[in-house]
Amino acid sequence: MQEMISPQPVRVGQATIAIQLADASAKPVTHAKISVEGDMSHPGMSPIFATATETSPGMYTAQLDFNMGGDWVVLSHIALADGRKLERRIDVSGVESNQ
Amino acid sequence: MKKALLNTNMHDPDKEFDGPAEAPPFDLLKVPLLGRLLMWRHSRTLVQIPLLLVSVAMILHGLLGPTISPKNLATVLTWVHFRGALVLVLLCAGNFFCMACPFMLARNFMRRFIHPRFTWPRALRNKWIAVALFALILFVYELFSLWSSPWLTAWIIVGYFATILVIDGVFKHATFCKYICPIGQFNFLASTVSPLEVGVRDRQVCSDCHTRDCIRGRHAPGSDLVILQRGCELALFQPGKVGNMDCTFCLDCVHACPHDNIGILSRLPASELMIDPQRSGVGYLSKRKDIAALTLVFCFGALMNAFGMVAPVYVVEAWLSHLLHIHHLAPVLGLLFTVFLVAEPAILLGIAAWITRTWAGVTLSWLPLIIRYIYCLVPLGFGMWLAHYGYHFLTGLYTIVPVTQGVLADIGWPVFGTPHWTLVGLPMYVVEPLEFGFLLLGMAGSLLVAWHLAEEDSAEHPMRAFTPWAAVCFVLFLGAIWLVTQPMDMRATLMAG
Repeated sequence: MQEMISPQPVRVGQATIAIQLADASAKPVTHAKISVEGDMSHPGMSPIFATATETSPGMYTAQLDFNMGGDWVVLSHIALADGRKLERRIDVSGVESNQ
Repeated sequence: MKKALLNTNMHDPDKEFDGPAEAPPFDLLKVPLLGRLLMWRHSRTLVQIPLLLVSVAMILHGLLGPTISPKNLATVLTWVHFRGALVLVLLCAGNFFCMACPFMLARNFMRRFIHPRFTWPRALRNKWIAVALFALILFVYELFSLWSSPWLTAWIIVGYFATILVIDGVFKHATFCKYICPIGQFNFLASTVSPLEVGVRDRQVCSDCHTRDCIRGRHAPGSDLVILQRGCELALFQPGKVGNMDCTFCLDCVHACPHDNIGILSRLPASELMIDPQRSGVGYLSKRKDIAALTLVFCFGALMNAFGMVAPVYVVEAWLSHLLHIHHLAPVLGLLFTVFLVAEPAILLGIAAWITRTWAGVTLSWLPLIIRYIYCLVPLGFGMWLAHYGYHFLTGLYTIVPVTQGVLADIGWPVFGTPHWTLVGLPMYVVEPLEFGFLLLGMAGSLLVAWHLAEEDSAEHPMRAFTPWAAVCFVLFLGAIWLVTQPMDMRATLMAG
């Protein structure tokens, strides 16, 4: 499983989370359902949510709208077609404010 | 008349006022039901028990629960709800958080079995340790990004419990509260601008009373060792008590008074900062360098603490790092703290003192002058804490709901359903005006205190004595306004980026 976030550096506004799923033999894992959630490192802030769509076999993308500068934690909740569930965390440090 | 306006509870019984008779102050203990509840011997325990249970839940969830801060009880309750509710209760009522302190419940339970034998060393009977701890907590908060770590937050709570049990297990009276607890010192200072204080209802009754039960407590007949009711453990003798400094609202004095002569009385907020009488258990504020230092950390630390959460701090930090070739967080942060808590106050207060001496002709030397006037900054400092903590509290008001739902779901008891993570808090268009309102309120309070002190110091030129301190307030006020208008930028490490 590989994840990428763009653009870099991440700024306040839209960002794309790309998640590539493959099994142990590097075969793409298709038809997974992925929801993405962003939380700030500080409690009490508004979380952000998005649903990823499969853009090519095994490749999923989601648009997250970072609404505040600072450190974020992005959680990918993955439900595989066979019913298994995975959760992956990416720390997105230093999302830059636009002002 | 002016004195009556300043504080209805601290007048000198030997002096008579020219104006109309004072109306008796509002007394919370005389409010139906609530007053009776507070007067109940176990009222404090009643509010401490739920907070103790919540503290235990916070510790367990902090250590064993989700590592993501917004989903953990320890971080959400500590850094959003506790801090915000604390300052709002201080603003609207008084030091009721010290009253409800769960640490004291654990300590009182321990003292059923362990009786401390030692008295706190005389050399340490001041606020210097608490001042250092207060500054250290502000520093550590930034250095380790405490808000982002449930685990560290839980350990801080554990550490607090451990420290109070050790200190108050070894030393008599309320040593921890009076000399160590940084949260308590924050509350003491902030409560000087609260509208309520524990005070004497009728001073004549105290004049005729010789029991001193309010400070000694009540003991079993024939035995001084058997305490029936504690007196004030913080050495505040009610007839000489002025204001809220060092008062934990424990109500021991209320229960101990044989004449039912102590109430929770209304007064003009910050009025106790406008006068400088000898205060029981405190002395003269103008002679307490330690409390002045506490005030300095309280006021300038409020700005530093808020500065740590806005975007420009990273520009400053990157510039310092580049300039000094330092690539570690601690020294850069240390430098920022030195600027905010040492250099900035030294320059601002030094200039104000110099102008007051030379222009207004106030004869005090510069340090006593600074100590006298530094208390005028308390309302503004409190306004900054209110704006900052109020922001987190109000914008994250409802976040406790999904976190609680999450906790209950995790332990297999989802009585409140699945967590609604979209529940957050009040919108910015509601919170922002409140932030400005808190700052304006603080500014007005600070100017009022400064004016009263200036009037007393320079009868001929009060405006000359007032202006320099008003200017200091104005500079800090502008800084505070600038801070709350900055985009928030919560980063876990200052060196990031």
